[in-house]
Amino acid sequence: MSLKNFSELFIDLDSCNSTNKKIGILKNYFSSNEALENSWTIYLLTGKSNKRFISGRSLKTLFSEIYEYPLWLIDSCYLKVGDSAEVISLLLRNMLPGKNKKFQDVSLQELLNISFQELSILKEDDKKLWLKGIWENIPKESHLVINKILTGTFRVGVSIGLITKSIAKLINLDEAIISHRLMGDFIPSQESYEILIDRKINPSELNYKPYPFLLANTFEKKIIDKSINDFQFEWKWDGIRIQLIKRLGKVSIWTRGQDLVNKSFPELVEKISSINDDFVIDGELLVWNFKESLPLNFSLLQKRINRKAPSRSIQKSLPIIFIAYDLLEINGEDQRDSNLEIRRNSLEKHLYKWLNESKEELSNILKISDLKYPKNWEEVETFKNNSRDNGTEGLVIKNKKSIYTPGRKKGLWWKYKVDPMQLDAVLIYAKGGSGIRAGLYTDYSFALWKDGELIKFASAYSGLKNTEIKELDRWIRQNTIDRFGPVRSVKPEMVFEISFENIQISKRHKSGIAIRFPRITKWRKDKLIKDADTLENAEKLILNK
Amino acid sequence: MKKDSSYLIKYTSSGLYCELADVWIDPNKPVKRAIITHAHMDHFTLGCDEYISTYETAIILKERIGKEIKIKTYDYEKEFKINGVKISFHPSGHILGSSQIKFNLADEKWLITGDFKRQKDETCKEYEIVETDYLISESTFGLPIFIWDEPKKTATDITKWVGSSQDKTSILFCYSLGKAQRLLNEISKTNFINNIYSHSSIYKMNNCYKKLGIDIIETKKLEHTKNNSDLKGNLIILPPALNKSSSLKNFKDIQTGFASGWMSIRALRKRSGYDKGFSISDHADWKGILKTIKDSKAKNVFFHHGDSEALNKYLKEKNSINVLEFKYK
Repeated sequence: MSLKNFSELFIDLDSCNSTNKKIGILKNYFSSNEALENSWTIYLLTGKSNKRFISGRSLKTLFSEIYEYPLWLIDSCYLKVGDSAEVISLLLRNMLPGKNKKFQDVSLQELLNISFQELSILKEDDKKLWLKGIWENIPKESHLVINKILTGTFRVGVSIGLITKSIAKLINLDEAIISHRLMGDFIPSQESYEILIDRKINPSELNYKPYPFLLANTFEKKIIDKSINDFQFEWKWDGIRIQLIKRLGKVSIWTRGQDLVNKSFPELVEKISSINDDFVIDGELLVWNFKESLPLNFSLLQKRINRKAPSRSIQKSLPIIFIAYDLLEINGEDQRDSNLEIRRNSLEKHLYKWLNESKEELSNILKISDLKYPKNWEEVETFKNNSRDNGTEGLVIKNKKSIYTPGRKKGLWWKYKVDPMQLDAVLIYAKGGSGIRAGLYTDYSFALWKDGELIKFASAYSGLKNTEIKELDRWIRQNTIDRFGPVRSVKPEMVFEISFENIQISKRHKSGIAIRFPRITKWRKDKLIKDADTLENAEKLILNK
Repeated sequence: MKKDSSYLIKYTSSGLYCELADVWIDPNKPVKRAIITHAHMDHFTLGCDEYISTYETAIILKERIGKEIKIKTYDYEKEFKINGVKISFHPSGHILGSSQIKFNLADEKWLITGDFKRQKDETCKEYEIVETDYLISESTFGLPIFIWDEPKKTATDITKWVGSSQDKTSILFCYSLGKAQRLLNEISKTNFINNIYSHSSIYKMNNCYKKLGIDIIETKKLEHTKNNSDLKGNLIILPPALNKSSSLKNFKDIQTGFASGWMSIRALRKRSGYDKGFSISDHADWKGILKTIKDSKAKNVFFHHGDSEALNKYLKEKNSINVLEFKYK
């Protein structure tokens, strides 16, 4: 009864807009299904490792070959739907009118752990037979779920927090404990589920796992009513948030997204292993320019994350650094209930000790997050506005009395980001979106003036309201000059305010500049295209940085 | 193939036109003489000198626009002549009174299906198969991803949706004319036990259907009900134009749904802004369109309404039929 139950769960969750109702649905599901199936359900719902068994393109091609169905027609349908898995599920209803019930009782374990695993070693012709067998033997209500799992696109509006809440409710245990158990790798098995729902807490099970991260809120004006001495100030680094763990001699590097990234940063693992104490440190990983003592661009860090076994030369050309800002555990003792002031003292004490003791040039990879001491709130403002000089994106303000608790609780930490840079640019190209934005033109390219010509300088697809997207979509269709595949060039007429976080010289772009996190912040209907900014203005932003 | 100009029916920017009979079909501008396929407002323009339609369409039209118009009615199948062109109405199965229009001149037959569907619908006459040489039809849902569920299933889903949220008021959006009455008819066959409230525009159409002999279950007129707690656990049916925060702000604790053929696509459902989508349509799905082409035995087809690019290409590849592409005049 498993695939059937899971498909029903998917449909129920997919069409439900109330958090409480979702928790109820999940709790109900977990209590009425077997442990092993529940473990696979959690694995799928959290999308922890959305493994792709087959690409969307192959799914379409194989369907076309199996059923001798024109590929162009599948592609036409795709333009309306924006998801290969759904297109194929919808088209399958044309092929398989009968009721397939043979596999309705198949378990998720059997499908995911046995059947799907075979797929990768099959030859093309056998793949076709295999797919045909799956499609024609599972009930059509499950086609969407199966195709989404196959293409690694299975997602439903359920966050890990929601699963945590429903499990916590199910066994009546503290959410923080469940959240802890769900951190990091969750390998589906009867045992992993049983550990998850164990009412007894076993300290050793927690050894490799990070603590749930404390997340900063956006700056609130009201905190300036309080004394500046109540707060600790640090730069807001633009890297990846990391918990660096060493327990029983083993190092684990966990991202906030709960990925274990030891493999990408072997030099960090190696150097940290030489420290004698055990600890859990919260901090930021960056690619570092040692000459100028500044962080390098985030895109370089991304390069490092994506490399699973970086060569020595990459380690050398893209050197990383870990900036420590909080101590959560020391030699097995949880520090999170101590207030920040105490944790900071302890962090400083231990870190300086390690740096002194080490022979491994630990200082080249481990650094403490320097505190800033603004005298008053006006100076905080100045610090924030100058943050780009240090390659940071603002300040993090922390309540000195705060304890370290999971999630984005109010009144603990705030991020105070520097205002984004902005330019007014002209819309010149539009491309159809995919997924939820299928069938609408939602990916836009913008241009700036240079010597009376419009030069493309950025693409953005977020920031507009739904009603604006629809309005712009209509305008795009009516004002198309030319089409290149899915891209339309449009009459230069519409001006938008584009905001972004960083700007730098780039040889790869025609405009000669690259910006980070571009987004649309305003549709400037009040402006004519001659009022849009020039590339020169953009270059000035780089100089003024 | 004949030249455009010699066709009996032409496609112009104002709509389909039969020059010989000097009659327009669902014109979008005021003209001398207009044949109206059905009473949806996107097929009707005020200000024509003379209208021709089925009796049911005429009654519904007058009710909707609340004005006298000069309208001549003919029964289904009854042939009439204008300037020697033989014309007749045939049920199209879209809504009550909706019709296909057959034109016949010197043994050459043209059929305009208008909006049509092949699914069962107890609130209107079933689509009649009419053979023709030239078929002009609509392709609103002209892609193979559109395959309709049984309306019974959709109605059961709606009943379940309302029943499982008794702490909320369920608001279902659907077109006031046709869809609303069909849904009410289908819902009445499920084990729906709660109250149903209709918006005045829907209430009016319900009465109109009843007057024309269609059995529609009793609903309460929404405007008579001010008390929010009365609405809790019940179903309200509203036209889609009212899905705005300003119209909904008077209701507390609501869940919203939309009943439309577009809702059969998850991506569109997610984007629609409704909490829930119910797939049901008064247009033909892909199979319905293909079946209609085959049933009509037409040698030439032409599609308007909706994106017909894929459908045209599909038909051309199958090579059994001549796909015409009219150019605007």
